[in-house]
Amino acid sequence: MKTYKISIWLMVSLVAVMLAMPVSSGAEVYKLGLSLAITGPTSDAGNPYAKGVEDYFRYVNDMKLLGKDTIDCTIRDDKYETAITKRNFEEYLDMGIVFYLNYSTGSTLGLKRDFEEVKMPVIPASFHAGNLEESNYIFLPIASYSAQAIGLAEYVVKNHNGKTPKVALFVHPSAFGRGPVDDVKKSVAAGLGMEIVEVVEHGKDLDNTAMLQRFKSKGVQYVISQTVQSPVAVMLNDASRLGLVAKTFGEKGKITFLGCHYTGGNDLIALAGDAAENFYWTTSYIITSEPGVGTDAQLALAKRYGRDDKAANSHNYANGVMVAQVAAEVIKRAKTRGKEVTKETLYEELLAMNGMNAFYPVTTVGPVTYSKDDHQGVDTLQLYAVDKGQFKSVGTPFIPEYTGKIK
Amino acid sequence: MSVNRWLATGNYFTTYKEEQRIFYTSLDRIFCVFFLTTLFIWPFFMELDSKDMLVIDNILVAVIAILGLNLVTGFAGLISVGHAAFVGVGAYTVACLSRIIGDQHVLITHAWPLMIMFSGFVGAIFGGIVGLPALRLKHLYLVMATLSFQMIFEWTIGFMDFFNQGQTIFVGRVFWFTGQVGRKEHYLFWYYALLVVVVLCGFAVRNLLRTRYGRCLVAVRDNDRAADAMGMHPGFTKVYAFALAGFFAGIAGAMHAYLYRGVGMESFTLHESIQYLAMTIVGGLGSLTGSFFGPAAIKILDLQVENLAEWAVTFLPSGMNLATALRPLSFGLVIVLFLIFEPRGIANWWRILRSYVKLWPFRY
Amino acid sequence: MSYFFQLVVSGIVVGSIYALSAIGFVLIYKSSRVLNLAHGQIIATGAFITYSLTVTAHIPIYLSFLMSMIITFFLAMSVEKIFLRRLIGEPIISVIMVTIGLMSIIDGLIYLTPFGSENFSFPPFLPQQPIVYAGISISYTQLVGVIITFILIGLFSWFFKKSTVGISMRAVSDDQLASMSIGVSVPRVFGLAWATAGLSAAAAGSVIGNITGLNFSTLHAFGIIVFPVVILGGLDSLLGAVVAGIIMGLIQQFASGYLDGNFGLYGTAQVLPYILLLVLLLFKPHGLFGTHEIERV
Repeated sequence: MKTYKISIWLMVSLVAVMLAMPVSSGAEVYKLGLSLAITGPTSDAGNPYAKGVEDYFRYVNDMKLLGKDTIDCTIRDDKYETAITKRNFEEYLDMGIVFYLNYSTGSTLGLKRDFEEVKMPVIPASFHAGNLEESNYIFLPIASYSAQAIGLAEYVVKNHNGKTPKVALFVHPSAFGRGPVDDVKKSVAAGLGMEIVEVVEHGKDLDNTAMLQRFKSKGVQYVISQTVQSPVAVMLNDASRLGLVAKTFGEKGKITFLGCHYTGGNDLIALAGDAAENFYWTTSYIITSEPGVGTDAQLALAKRYGRDDKAANSHNYANGVMVAQVAAEVIKRAKTRGKEVTKETLYEELLAMNGMNAFYPVTTVGPVTYSKDDHQGVDTLQLYAVDKGQFKSVGTPFIPEYTGKIK
Repeated sequence: MSVNRWLATGNYFTTYKEEQRIFYTSLDRIFCVFFLTTLFIWPFFMELDSKDMLVIDNILVAVIAILGLNLVTGFAGLISVGHAAFVGVGAYTVACLSRIIGDQHVLITHAWPLMIMFSGFVGAIFGGIVGLPALRLKHLYLVMATLSFQMIFEWTIGFMDFFNQGQTIFVGRVFWFTGQVGRKEHYLFWYYALLVVVVLCGFAVRNLLRTRYGRCLVAVRDNDRAADAMGMHPGFTKVYAFALAGFFAGIAGAMHAYLYRGVGMESFTLHESIQYLAMTIVGGLGSLTGSFFGPAAIKILDLQVENLAEWAVTFLPSGMNLATALRPLSFGLVIVLFLIFEPRGIANWWRILRSYVKLWPFRY
Repeated sequence: MSYFFQLVVSGIVVGSIYALSAIGFVLIYKSSRVLNLAHGQIIATGAFITYSLTVTAHIPIYLSFLMSMIITFFLAMSVEKIFLRRLIGEPIISVIMVTIGLMSIIDGLIYLTPFGSENFSFPPFLPQQPIVYAGISISYTQLVGVIITFILIGLFSWFFKKSTVGISMRAVSDDQLASMSIGVSVPRVFGLAWATAGLSAAAAGSVIGNITGLNFSTLHAFGIIVFPVVILGGLDSLLGAVVAGIIMGLIQQFASGYLDGNFGLYGTAQVLPYILLLVLLLFKPHGLFGTHEIERV
């Protein structure tokens, strides 16, 4: 009964609020929704991500980038629980959102069918390749974890001296971590010249000595990790204690550590300290330790909205800004073409985002392209490595070759 | 019975039989019938958003689970910190079948009431097995046994490919006499289904407590050695209690699976187990009405705090941190305040209110 | 063979950190029969205090380590005074639930600070090179962790065996009523138990923080990780906590060293302690060193 009463009160108050709102003349408000983990697991990534999304939409509204129209993006915490994400999503649907931003791998996979049913274009913060299976409405912002892992593997193969490189995969015990494993294995089967010695799923380990010693005895020279920063930091600390970290790429008898998007960034350096030195990391985002036009823009945006240094310099802040940019861009394009902004037209705009229509956000190392068969936004990746406590670019942006070969 | 059955001002029980009635007065019965009717017919008069409907459904799922937890923790006095795992057992029963025979199989989409019952029994079996240490263990050591089960459950689901390693396993849309239950009426449909189950479970628990076994439970909770001396078997009583709790949890799990149309690990973690315990405490340990109040209170509190936090963000500079902090903070405060100031939970307020009404116009 | 010994050494290191985290648990249980589920949060708080003192207030790390232990000592004491004092004599579930509530409250408070969702690490203050002996390596951080653990355990054992306060704490744990009648202040003993537990938690937090870096969810998970340890050792035995901690550390290291990656298994180190625990509970319910409760009707 209590629920019922409170629901009535909620409705009444909602109606009151709606009536109280000034009726603006002709200016439209486009509703968007973002549900992500601001508390709970992975909140260290979710927090700056949310700030990035929030700041960019504020910027769009403040700068009147959409003319009189504004974007109203509701951001909700889901504590990394799919059930709460679902609740948030249902609420956003009730609000009448035209575009949805999601976060975790688990919830993206869990809500896949809902996205299909309501035909809602979605950009998740999870780059899991499995998100795209049996799904038409999910768009990854950048290359999938699989592509990232394969990219790293290709780099290993190209730059390795000597016999077939022996590689171990160090992954998170979830779909998020396991996703790329199969694809890397497929690439090896398709002719990528390396040997996968072992796939390790980590837990909450205090000490990885056993694992690292085992790697050493099996002759593993490279560890590609697909997880979050904290376990990587523990592993790096142990490796540096055991004197196993390679000083240069592929050093003989030592191990070179590499990782995908969520393993790296300033958080890793904050956690692992000096042990992070010479850690190779790939992502499609620009980072602030490599100054450029994009990073200037990112820092200016963060400064404008009073964010602290930590958030401003986070690659996940760039991550959040970028998905907001894509969302704002498709709304803008739909408007310029004189179409009504609905989830259908935004979906069409996303699909048309290729060729001459590709979108260049300044926060990534390459253009965002989507089409009917390509739901991965930025296909190019950039390799970074830690040098004196900062991530620095290694080489130029590249596109992994084997992603196409294993399809 | 000499007194007026409509307006009894005070208790006039002369036999135990009278005390064991489901409804003490006719007013009680009328009120209950009226209340249930309202629950069944209100959706005809007003339409709620899907989200609100989902929240209500979610509360009802929790009510079923809490009915079970209250049996084992409230009535039998055995603390279980693995209740979410039992709910998970129920949910994964449906998920497993959907994995084996496909999520659109007739058994899943048409025979869902059967599936729900079946999940209940699977839950009961697991409950009984985990309860086995109760034959030897007491107090905290038993808490540890349930905690171990929770951990082993989480690991098994996360480890095995068969369970999709904890990622969502889909469960198809169900069919009713009118055809497939579509997206629009999904939450309303499950509201009714859940309501029926809740009412059945509620009466089942109420009746259980009137039986010899129900009194056994309470006796064992209050003093198991004394109960032993009186000829009850405390060990088996506890094992049965676990099995019963597992049964309710299994049903709740299966309903959860159908409601969310998928089963994922996140809904059955240790964190959820703790939430269930909190609901039981806030509702009132060892009280049937408490099992209804607790989930409603905790879930609504969570939503309200979220709204509050969102509102606070509009005028606080670094609001984001405050918003995230507010939820655990309020959750913790509610539990602690309840324990300190109202250890018998909301159910006690309800009891006071009832006595007040009963004695009216005299002073309580 | 050096692989085996490396595992042994690592197991002992990990195990003694478990033991250090478990002491706080045991201390509280030993004197007040309360299972403190918020222990992980107190560990995290201790680590964060040490970090803030070192980095923000620029106090040398050894000093801030001690100061953080003292601060947490008083914090835990006041927590006991505010929340748990009122529940003396209430059923056990209420007390457990209060600690769960406490857990959420501390969570909330930590989310108010940057520590809630950001990552930090202690500035390096020990030599980065490991000590290597016959192919077996151990880092200074780990070594210091082990040493601190044993110093603290020694201190606490002495405290309980010899000092008047310690003996009164043991008396209270044995029989509250009887100890009250001979003039022991039960509330004061409870307060002290929490305070010492807080102290040991701060030590544990700082040691763990040095190894894993400061990440809130990693740190507070230790409140749960140590459960099997305390149960294995028997809830109320300090020696039990140490022995069980080391046993658990060794089991985990051997599991991940020999089982993982060999028989299609992985992550066994995470679940093995719980399986062991469940089996142990069936055969030896009071753990290795726990006291048997004798109940009279």
